[in-house]
Amino acid sequence: MLNDLIIGMAGSGGDGIVSAGESLMSASSHEGYYAILTKSFGSQIRGGESSCRLRVATVPVLNPGGALTVAVALNWEDFLRFGGELPTDGETVVIYEQKTGVAPDAVPLKVRPAIAIAVPIEDLAKKTAGTLLAKNNVILGLVAGWFGLGRQAILEGIRRKFGKKGAEVLQGNERAYAAGLAYADEHPVSQARRLAPSVSGKGRRRVTDGNELCAEAALFAGCKFFGGYPITPATEIMQHLQRDIWKHGGSLLQAEDEIAGIAAAVGASFAGQKAMTATSGPGLSLKTEVLGLASGVELPLVVVNVQRGGPSTGLPTKTEQADLFAAAFSAHGDTVRPILAPISVEDMFPITVEAFNIAEEFQTPVIVLSDQEIAQRKDIIDPIDSSHLKIVDRLRPTDQEMQPYLRFRFTDSGISPISHPGMKGGSYLAAGIEHNEHGDPTSNGTMHERMNDKRLNKLNPLKQRRDLFHIEGDPAAPIGVISWGGVAGVALEAVRTAQAQGLPVKLLVPKLLYPVAEEIYQEFFASLESCVVVEQSHQGQLHKIIRMWVDVPKRFTSFAKSGANPFSPAEIVRKIAQLATPPSRLTATATVPKVTVS
Amino acid sequence: MISPTSECGCPPPAEPLKSKDFRSELKPIWCPGCGDYGVVTALYRALANIGRPPHEIAFISGIGCSSRIPGYTTAYGFNTVHGRALPVAQGIKMASPDLLVLVAGGDGDGFSIGGGHVPHAIRRNLDLTYIVMDNHIYGLTKGQLSPTTPRGAITSSSTHGSMEDPVNPLLYVLAYGAGFVAQGVPADMDGLTKMLEEAIRYPGFAFVNVQSPCVTFGDPDDQLKVQKTRMRKLAEMGHDPTNRLKAMDLAQEYSTSLYTGVFYRNPNPPPTYDSQIRARQRALQTHTTEGGE
Repeated sequence: MLNDLIIGMAGSGGDGIVSAGESLMSASSHEGYYAILTKSFGSQIRGGESSCRLRVATVPVLNPGGALTVAVALNWEDFLRFGGELPTDGETVVIYEQKTGVAPDAVPLKVRPAIAIAVPIEDLAKKTAGTLLAKNNVILGLVAGWFGLGRQAILEGIRRKFGKKGAEVLQGNERAYAAGLAYADEHPVSQARRLAPSVSGKGRRRVTDGNELCAEAALFAGCKFFGGYPITPATEIMQHLQRDIWKHGGSLLQAEDEIAGIAAAVGASFAGQKAMTATSGPGLSLKTEVLGLASGVELPLVVVNVQRGGPSTGLPTKTEQADLFAAAFSAHGDTVRPILAPISVEDMFPITVEAFNIAEEFQTPVIVLSDQEIAQRKDIIDPIDSSHLKIVDRLRPTDQEMQPYLRFRFTDSGISPISHPGMKGGSYLAAGIEHNEHGDPTSNGTMHERMNDKRLNKLNPLKQRRDLFHIEGDPAAPIGVISWGGVAGVALEAVRTAQAQGLPVKLLVPKLLYPVAEEIYQEFFASLESCVVVEQSHQGQLHKIIRMWVDVPKRFTSFAKSGANPFSPAEIVRKIAQLATPPSRLTATATVPKVTVS
Repeated sequence: MISPTSECGCPPPAEPLKSKDFRSELKPIWCPGCGDYGVVTALYRALANIGRPPHEIAFISGIGCSSRIPGYTTAYGFNTVHGRALPVAQGIKMASPDLLVLVAGGDGDGFSIGGGHVPHAIRRNLDLTYIVMDNHIYGLTKGQLSPTTPRGAITSSSTHGSMEDPVNPLLYVLAYGAGFVAQGVPADMDGLTKMLEEAIRYPGFAFVNVQSPCVTFGDPDDQLKVQKTRMRKLAEMGHDPTNRLKAMDLAQEYSTSLYTGVFYRNPNPPPTYDSQIRARQRALQTHTTEGGE
């Protein structure tokens, strides 16, 4: 019996592959399993190739996993197009459409799979339901029959889905499902590949994704305004919010462009409301000038940037972690904006709340770097426990502080009480132009220096936020792994696996990426002889940012890949094993010069 | 905190406010003789007549000489970035519909870098007043072509003469359906004051184009003295401001005739965006309560 099963399926648009994945997801949730469902498409609106992979387990799953336990190919061309997203190995069971005419010992995969089974999927669909549209239900039957996924739950799912479409359609699909089950029963494969029964949580868990949780968290945090523009893969945040934000006394603007979206959000924040915008790479580029304005006039603002492959249009439907430089550095002038990143779908909730809290407390724009995978993959999660989450509101001036009111008053913390229109005695000029304590424009160098000090130093307490760093493993371990965002879940599993294999390794996952918390990294590095930063950007952007600020270990390496090339836990384990070997056996690129920071 | 409002958002003042209540202590950076002095003075007077206290007013601008104007008032001011005053102002009005929201900027801010926002502000129809100080030149950067510079004009970025036709701000906003469209000149302070007051009282998006001459880089024929001789008051011409097509006819003469007054006022103002927001909030909140959440 398996506690952890990964199914990957691919076909053409219209084959219902993604729909089949969703059915399996829903059944898994009902049956009390944990699961992650990732979908992948070509960038066509309809048609083209589509695929999904479902990792289902009896315990919480940290990432979509590596090589497939089960691969389903409706045609080989589409399946192979997904390359690294649907990796197979010698343990994989391959199910494929008989019509492809490929012999089981000739399937076009790099490594010969454990078993390859040609199934007349099309014929079964046509025979039982009279339509090829029922192919996906044949597949569901095969999967349920061979691998032990809830037979009854899947059937109930089919009934919910097709119940409204008339008896004939429903019965056809039920017959197709039954045919798949029967085929599986008549052609048994090894029992060892059946999923173990779930242990707990039947019906208690929910299927959700990062974008949905982001919207829910924003409302929880007190967000009253959203300004934005549709962009893949961030649009769902706006779609979720527009349904409910009004009930909370808030409002939402689908603006004419990305710039207007963030500008309206800055306006709402000026008016005293918690405000946000959400976007992806190209939108972040457009919003940059107004981000600088928010820094300059010290207004709270949350910007969620759901990363996709770049530059330019790049890979709109695929995940990447290459906007870290853009988030950290794409403003003119000396500005520092806090950057947060969730490390899982579930983490999107507390991280979004934290973003609002930091924005409000420090009167600054905060960027949340989500990514396509966290935003759009579906996870089965336990109910969110928000009881320990606090909500922070901006510091308001007292009556005394308004006689007279100095909006940008120099204080020890660098944080000045903030008024908003409607407050008598609190009138001030918010100006992007450099200003004095009162808010009046100035071009005085001394005042500019002091205001820069104020705006930058007020963020220093963030660097002590140890709760925004996930650290695990023996503190004395000589090997370190650093990872962030959506890839962190893979690194987490890899480090645990490596530890189980006896490798002396520990892990650091920063959820606060910027400003760089030098001390926390320094402490982590103290015991290290070597360290690898695992991330999904071609340049290894976090690796470089850490080197800018922190005195790094002698062997401080980068394991970086471009987007749409997922990491598997196994390859990270191999990387850790390499670091455990003497440096002489490593390639030259692994060693980098030591950087000294004053 | 904010006074209750009547339909136009303008309650009778508790105690009469004076122009000086709206004047800040900040000294304008404008050149002596700049038309913008007249605009801010007329605005002080209009706001005193309206009677909303300064802290209930949010005054948003972009970048340029004229965009310095919020700082010269005692209202809450927001001097934003170039071209984005309208979206910022809409966010403010959506967040706090009781505020009196004013937006101001130059012709470059409104019809060049920020031109794409104007149609959307108009079609959304938030209750705000947009004042453009149209001087046909980029003054702050020392005299380059602006979107309303006449064809053939010699400027610091067109020393051989401009090869472009200017934008027509009046026709532009009329075409997109603005409910209130007027043009004023600082040479006629009473007319300008009255027009600004009317614009602020109009329940919806109101646009006032002020031909505000640049004394340093502008055309000598645009200056205040010349305005006095060139201006023709629409009211005295017998123009019916409820006639939108006639308003568009007159607006076509933007480059050749200096008409002042109200070109168009929608006699049946449609619901504003902000009123719709409130209605939706009320409806959904009630619905939620009734549904027992």
